[in-house]
Amino acid sequence: MSWLRALTSALFLFFVFTIQEGAIARINFPITGFSFFLAVLVALMALEEKSGAVVMGFIGGIILDLSPTTNSPFGQWALVLTVVGYLIATNTESVGDFSARPGAFVLFVAFGVTITLTLYLLVGTLVGENAGTIGRNTVVVLGNFMWTLLFTPIFLPSLVRVRQATLTSRERS
Amino acid sequence: MAMNGNNRSRLLLVTLLVTSLFLITLDLRGVSVTQSSRSATQSFLAPIQRGVSDFFSPVGNFFSNVKNFGKTKAELNQVKKQNEALKKEVVLNSDIKGQLDQLKGALDLAARGGFKVVAARVIGHGSASTFSQTITLDVGSTSGIRKDQTVISESGLVGVVKEVTSSSAIVLLMSDPTFRVGVRIARSQGMGVLIGQGGKRYLVQLLDSSGKFQVGDALLTLGSDGFKPFVSGIPVGKIISVNSTTASLTQEADVSAYSNLGELGVVTVIVGNLSSDPHNALVPTPAPTRTVYVTSTGAPPVDTATLTPSPSPSLTSAPKKKATK
Repeated sequence: MSWLRALTSALFLFFVFTIQEGAIARINFPITGFSFFLAVLVALMALEEKSGAVVMGFIGGIILDLSPTTNSPFGQWALVLTVVGYLIATNTESVGDFSARPGAFVLFVAFGVTITLTLYLLVGTLVGENAGTIGRNTVVVLGNFMWTLLFTPIFLPSLVRVRQATLTSRERS
Repeated sequence: MAMNGNNRSRLLLVTLLVTSLFLITLDLRGVSVTQSSRSATQSFLAPIQRGVSDFFSPVGNFFSNVKNFGKTKAELNQVKKQNEALKKEVVLNSDIKGQLDQLKGALDLAARGGFKVVAARVIGHGSASTFSQTITLDVGSTSGIRKDQTVISESGLVGVVKEVTSSSAIVLLMSDPTFRVGVRIARSQGMGVLIGQGGKRYLVQLLDSSGKFQVGDALLTLGSDGFKPFVSGIPVGKIISVNSTTASLTQEADVSAYSNLGELGVVTVIVGNLSSDPHNALVPTPAPTRTVYVTSTGAPPVDTATLTPSPSPSLTSAPKKKATK
């Protein structure tokens, strides 16, 4: 991943983060909420090669760490999403081309978000953070899975097109 | 070549993981850079949140309101035709009316407690991905808001100010699992600690092993030194069930909060010193039973009807009414 691409990715992810914090967070979803940012980030990481996914995970994590509403230590999201980026990149290679199987891609994103949130809770427990009861957190994670599964098919085609448009000819080949 | 690529990505992974751990260590050691970067983000986001707030305020409750729409297609079409022109206006008016009612109630509670307050509109909620329960207010340090000030609604305690920028403030809601507040029982003055559970229920633990909870007991804030982070006497909630376990030394109970944190539109932040401690004056009490005597002219009472209004925190007393026909 080139520096220019990392920069444009960071700007795009910050734009998505602004939508998440400014608009999506205003909607009172039944059964907890939907993290548009995580869904977009997991989808983008799945489309990148290994080092690209890791860098994008780190950038996305730093942006999430900037969220003023979060209670976790600065860097926790970066740690979690870097690991998730690596896991996604490793598993994407085994799954193959997503463009031919959009259903599998949506499922992959939904499971990716679920794993991210679960890992975040586990790391939070390790650093001594109190994130609430297991029952409540299970509902939050499963609720996110459900909403991601429902909403990802809506924005995924546009996201893939935007990504394609930002690729250089060298990166396309 | 492939080996080189793998090695490079592994090296990158390790580098980024170490960087993340370094950042976490810095944050846990209290380095101010991380806190100021979050404040800077809040300063950037606040105007955007304020901007979209007007648009998303009616849309925000879409999912909870959707069940109120008509049940059949024919009815829906009829309602659509009738309401097409007025829909926008009605939604905005009801939104404003709801906010006005909440503001009136919150100011009423503050006035009865003798608190100096600043009214604020809720312009954002904590992101679903952060697991923290927060709201963002449209007032900040320029309006006199400081960290660790108590936030109340029309019904009682909402939370405490966690972060402040010049034009916005983030409030940690009492439902957050990290939230702790000292409380006292209005009936017995026994003291305890209320803990957020992440949902609508709360846990309260008594500090005194000889103390007892009773279902229906009202809980008020105990208050803090210098009124920060909590002023005393704010209604918090009521006991809904007492947990009798032999494992714990002191009694525990489940609490239902007076404030409905899911429907906060307008809140007030207590910024000024108290005129005096309100003690139990703010305990929400049901209005006294109104007895209406219905009698025939010149004849002894023939019928007695009793009207019991629903409990309201804003009503502290109501006169008895007599009607004669």
